[in-house]
Amino acid sequence: MPSVLLIDDDAELTKLLEEYLQSEQLQVDAAHDGPSGLDKAQNGQYAVVVLDVMLPGMSGLDVLKQLRQRSSVPVLMLTARGSELDRILGLELGADDYLPKPFNPRELVARLRAILRRTANAQGAAPGQSLHVADVEIHPESRSVACDGKPITLTGAEFDLLYTFLRNPGKIISREDLTQAALGRPMSPMDRSIDVHVSNLRRKLGSYDGEQERIKAIRGSGYVYLLPGEQS
Amino acid sequence: MIFRSLFWKLFLWFWFTAATIIGVQAVMIWFNDVETMPERVNRGPLGEGLTIFSETAAQAYERGGIDALNSLIIRTVHESGTEIYFYNGDGSPITAPGGDNVAEVVTAVQEAPPGQRVSKVFLGRSTWGKQVFGANGKKYIFIARFRAPGQRPPLFPPSRIIAMVLTAGLVCYLLALYLTSPVKKLQSTVKSFAEGNLDARVSPELGNRGDELAELGREFDRMAERIAGLISSQKRLLADISHELRSPLARLTVALELARKNSTPKADQALDRIEQETERVNQLVGQLLKLTRLESGAEEVPPEAVALEELVQQVIDDADFEAKALNKSVKAVRLEQCRVAGSVELLRSAVENVVRNAVRYTPQGSAVEVGLQWRLDTAVLTVRDHGPGVPQSELSHIFEPFYRVSEARERTSGGVGLGLSIAERTARLHGGTIRAENLPDGLLVTLELPLASTAAPSRSTPEPSPVHT
Repeated sequence: MPSVLLIDDDAELTKLLEEYLQSEQLQVDAAHDGPSGLDKAQNGQYAVVVLDVMLPGMSGLDVLKQLRQRSSVPVLMLTARGSELDRILGLELGADDYLPKPFNPRELVARLRAILRRTANAQGAAPGQSLHVADVEIHPESRSVACDGKPITLTGAEFDLLYTFLRNPGKIISREDLTQAALGRPMSPMDRSIDVHVSNLRRKLGSYDGEQERIKAIRGSGYVYLLPGEQS
Repeated sequence: MIFRSLFWKLFLWFWFTAATIIGVQAVMIWFNDVETMPERVNRGPLGEGLTIFSETAAQAYERGGIDALNSLIIRTVHESGTEIYFYNGDGSPITAPGGDNVAEVVTAVQEAPPGQRVSKVFLGRSTWGKQVFGANGKKYIFIARFRAPGQRPPLFPPSRIIAMVLTAGLVCYLLALYLTSPVKKLQSTVKSFAEGNLDARVSPELGNRGDELAELGREFDRMAERIAGLISSQKRLLADISHELRSPLARLTVALELARKNSTPKADQALDRIEQETERVNQLVGQLLKLTRLESGAEEVPPEAVALEELVQQVIDDADFEAKALNKSVKAVRLEQCRVAGSVELLRSAVENVVRNAVRYTPQGSAVEVGLQWRLDTAVLTVRDHGPGVPQSELSHIFEPFYRVSEARERTSGGVGLGLSIAERTARLHGGTIRAENLPDGLLVTLELPLASTAAPSRSTPEPSPVHT
């Protein structure tokens, strides 16, 4: 049974969630403040961490920042509704997905399963073959990426996103497909996570020779990964 | 018009008053001088001196004739510019006869009692005359014309008047400055307060003045203090309530799902209703928090370039998807490239709120039309629905939080009444405006945002630019 770490200062909520998630065949452990949550997340063997941004003392974003220095455990962030900044910061700091709080626990389970499915795919199923597209090398078996010979650190979602792009260079991929591929779940209306992930990927890879962009947005369709010298 | 300001009014009026007083004073002194001058000459030491000189002149004439008289005149007074005339008692001239009013004075001296001094002013000079008796009792008439001391023709020289008026001007300037500077400070503080700087106060600016203006400033500060206190406590209350509502809401949704797992199908309808209402409260809390944040100025506008047409297209796609379920649709009429500077997230939620609002009110089977055009330096977003519109008198209020146009309208719509407020605050934060107007069949909401300061995008470019997220 995959185990989930809940980091939330609302003990009553984590208790209810524990009950709910257990009925959904997920094992739950909880921490109620930043430092102890960080400690558990770093040391424990959790399949996924659910992290509330609003934590007393050490904020959830700080926990995430420190956690990402040592661990790549998937993180689902709980953000305050109406605060897009937290959400974007969280995704930029390497969270895999987010859910505005208060959330429907069914939605939480769906997101958790999506993350678990993706990590299971990454680990279990036969990894895809390594690709070399222009100046980017991607190795699914070691989940490593190098651009222009320099290694680049990507989160799980960003890695899957890049792999999807590199398998279809020059082709327009819809935001729905990208969401499915990178986040392992269907896109919901008003959902901007994929755009944030794409923009992170853009930032981490940089543009060709500092001029031509790599990933281009096509209005109403999606995104396309361009090859050097290609104009959409 | 600069001269309409209080400073200029005070300054010019003060100065005008001072200059008028100086002018009147000068004229009065001049008249006074003219009237009393002959009298003063007669009585003063000058009169005595001239009397003695007239007797000397008579003696010189009797002793040495016209030559002696002339040499005396030349020797004594010629260089001072004083003219001396000597007449016989019958008025016939001994020296050359004098011009101007000399003849008049001679007549006056003849008519006056013997020994009386006659003095008249003509063209800035005094003409002074007196009978003189020679050694043998012969009568002569002595006339002196001179520029008398104390008589300054013209009395105040222009340079002196100008200097006085200028000095008055300087004093008036300083006075006007002294009176209006606190008004100016008060004005700028009130302006800054009105612009939302609730910490703006006048007192530190005014120093230790004690007059009515300083009193006014202090009263303003007291008022500002009170308003700022009320506003901040109201905002804090709103934020606190929203935040505190959130935790129980989060627990409620989880508990609800737990209940659902253990319930019989009979309870489903009630549970669905609970879930629906919970979501409504949830949305309300989220919007309240967002609005509080926008109003408190906690949200900063990053100078990011935003491709508005991309953003609008995405919102249209999403809203159209949602509207399909209600048998409505959202379509783009014409989207032109527009770059604005600001926060993508805030702008998106603003556009989203306006479009969602339109979807809510447009009748089934109709479409919400969204257009984006640029005009000069402004991006103009238009969202048009085919709904019932808004009563004309209430148009300007629909951007106020929780404003309800009518009960009937609200009951079916299920909105929480904050979406348009959020859009309005966001527009304002980005230096833009939002307004609504009624069309024959629907409502048109127009959101205007200033374009990013780079060159205006060309209309013909078909290539969309990347979304900046």
